[in-house]
Amino acid sequence: MAEKIYSEIPMRTWRWLGVNEARVEESVLAPDMAAVQSLFVPAGESRELTVVYRQEGEGRLDVKVAEGGSLKLTVVQLLPDDRQYAGQVEVELAKGASLEAVAVEVGAAKAVSKMQVFLKGDESRADVHVLYFGHEARKLDMNYVLVQEGRQTEANLNVYGALSGQADKIFRGTLDFRRGSKGSKGYEKEQVIVLSGKVRNRSVPLMLSGEDAVEGHHAVSIGKMDENKLFYLMSRGLDMAEARRLVVEAAFNPVLDRIGDEELYRELDDYIKERLADE
Amino acid sequence: MENRNKTFVEDIERTLYDIRNEDRSAYKSQAGLTEDVVRDISARKHDPEWMLERRLESLKVYNSLSLPAWGPDISELNMDEIVTYVQPDAKMAGRWEDVPEDIKSTFDRLGIPEAEKVSLAGVGAQYDSEVVYHSIQESLIQQGVVYTDMETALREYEALVREHFMRLVPPKDHKFAALHGAVWSGGSFVYVPEGVHVEIPLQSYFRLNAAGAGQFEHTLIILEKNSSLHFIEGCSAPKYNVTNLHAGCVELFVGEGARLRYSTIENWSRNMMNLNTKRALVEKDGIIEWVSGSFGSHVSMLYPCSILHGENARCEFTGVTFASKGQNLDTGASVIHAAPYTSANISTRTISKAGGRATYRSAVKVTPNAHHAKCSVNCESLMLDDISRSDTLPVMDIQGDEADIGHEATIGRISEEAVFYLMSRGISEEEARAMIVRGFVEPIAKELPLEYAVEMNNLINIELEGTMG
Repeated sequence: MAEKIYSEIPMRTWRWLGVNEARVEESVLAPDMAAVQSLFVPAGESRELTVVYRQEGEGRLDVKVAEGGSLKLTVVQLLPDDRQYAGQVEVELAKGASLEAVAVEVGAAKAVSKMQVFLKGDESRADVHVLYFGHEARKLDMNYVLVQEGRQTEANLNVYGALSGQADKIFRGTLDFRRGSKGSKGYEKEQVIVLSGKVRNRSVPLMLSGEDAVEGHHAVSIGKMDENKLFYLMSRGLDMAEARRLVVEAAFNPVLDRIGDEELYRELDDYIKERLADE
Repeated sequence: MENRNKTFVEDIERTLYDIRNEDRSAYKSQAGLTEDVVRDISARKHDPEWMLERRLESLKVYNSLSLPAWGPDISELNMDEIVTYVQPDAKMAGRWEDVPEDIKSTFDRLGIPEAEKVSLAGVGAQYDSEVVYHSIQESLIQQGVVYTDMETALREYEALVREHFMRLVPPKDHKFAALHGAVWSGGSFVYVPEGVHVEIPLQSYFRLNAAGAGQFEHTLIILEKNSSLHFIEGCSAPKYNVTNLHAGCVELFVGEGARLRYSTIENWSRNMMNLNTKRALVEKDGIIEWVSGSFGSHVSMLYPCSILHGENARCEFTGVTFASKGQNLDTGASVIHAAPYTSANISTRTISKAGGRATYRSAVKVTPNAHHAKCSVNCESLMLDDISRSDTLPVMDIQGDEADIGHEATIGRISEEAVFYLMSRGISEEEARAMIVRGFVEPIAKELPLEYAVEMNNLINIELEGTMG
């Protein structure tokens, strides 16, 4: 099956690491621009948008938030276990505009997703919360890029993930401070809990800067479950499997709690619990 | 708008390094890279047959590989213009007095003989393509320590060299490893027998004097079980208007329970392409410690790699990179955890100013069998103005569930609050800024032997622009 480069790292590195690009089977990609959903948030107004992808194929979303506008965006990928997914979200923020995005990647046999947020206007702000859960033989490839162009912008990228089975995951997260983005701040954090000895976990936290008057920070922590937490829970009568489930669920809560739609929240919560129970 | 003055950090004072001698080499190969050039170098060096074969094989690999598709732009490097072999008009000397006067005075100015007297157990000095001086303390020879130039090693320890030469960095690794394999010349060979601790450092100094030339020295260090060594490498060259190329190769074999510290202060001139490859293989309970200061060159691509091959093997990497006007310094480190209970600690500082570009690039790989691997990476970048660039590109590739990996990076400029605080304590603004920059590189300075920490402080000559904005 012919494949196409769908997503690329903003700055290339050693080929042997296999993180420079993500490929997608051409049959998965949308044939034309008809698949693009667009949203415009007018100046000073607020919008909420929730998109749930359940079918094989490509999802594309283009958003512009005008001056002082705000958007709460929830994108959930819940494809069946044997399907493939490709998705891209692009958001442009004008002066004083803000974005709160929640992205959940849990389904599909192979999922390739990218999100680009351009903080073009001064004092624009983006808070992006990502949850991923890779289980069985899933392949997850994510590429999140926050480009800070305006002055005094603020970008936060918080990523929580868990991997079990033989899952193979790549997460690229980029903070890109462009020249002129004076007074801007960027923060990126990825926490990964590894539940199986057969997973492959690749994390690529990039920080690019052409501006000195910025503050950027990124941190990644990859490890197995905190034994102290497990010990505590087990001392309270939980068995090992229950304690492990609880720790993962607790790690996911900062993202799941941001999902406003109660039905969707429950569906995701059940989905994750079910997969953890199989683990 | 408020016009605030920036911290002004003086470009590295290079006068000492920029003094060039008349180019009176005994022989120069023709420019460019052909089979004839490679055969000619091999014949002049009296290579054994197997080495000629390896050189020719490397040349084939070189011709089959393309330039890397990542990293700094090196398209201005024209191999057809590079002279790959420059034989200085000097024979290898065992006594300092026997080194020709102009070459001797170059190394004198750089303080090499003085360092030998005061703080080193052995010194090697390479001028262009050949080592012109080598010495080692008698007491070390009696303990079986070997410290000599690679050509002598190839004659006197042929089996050992044949077994290890380009085993860690095979020519197929990348185009410049292949280039090195084809035209390598000079470099140092160190062998430390089991249980021997070389208490005082050995140092090799590499000087490239000829314009438009390449230096391709090979450093091979073998530490047997439970031995230890501190090896220091220094590099410099005068500045020319044509591109010079450095594509050296360093291969370090750290045996079981052995400990090797490899320190480098690199101050190549700003017309140098520094495309160097360094790799260490560390066996059970062994330790490799890298201390790496990158200050010079026009373009650098340097990422020392540690392969933690035996259980409980360890790596410590401490690096500082200072990129100024016209410099694109792409540096970092990579660690491969290939055995259980291996651990690594990577700590780097980068500074960029006056349009310089500093990139930190790293890779941490944990293989499935390397359970209980631990790795901590810390990378801090300081930008001194808004015309420079600083990029951080770390990759972690972790297999298995028993690894504990942490990575942290920050980027920013000198904190005005910190300057204000120090000034409120009676320190002048200039001194406050200088203190902050010195404090920023202090974790690296403290890892260097005293003389080199002083040299680094000299390299970072801090000045401040007059008034507050």
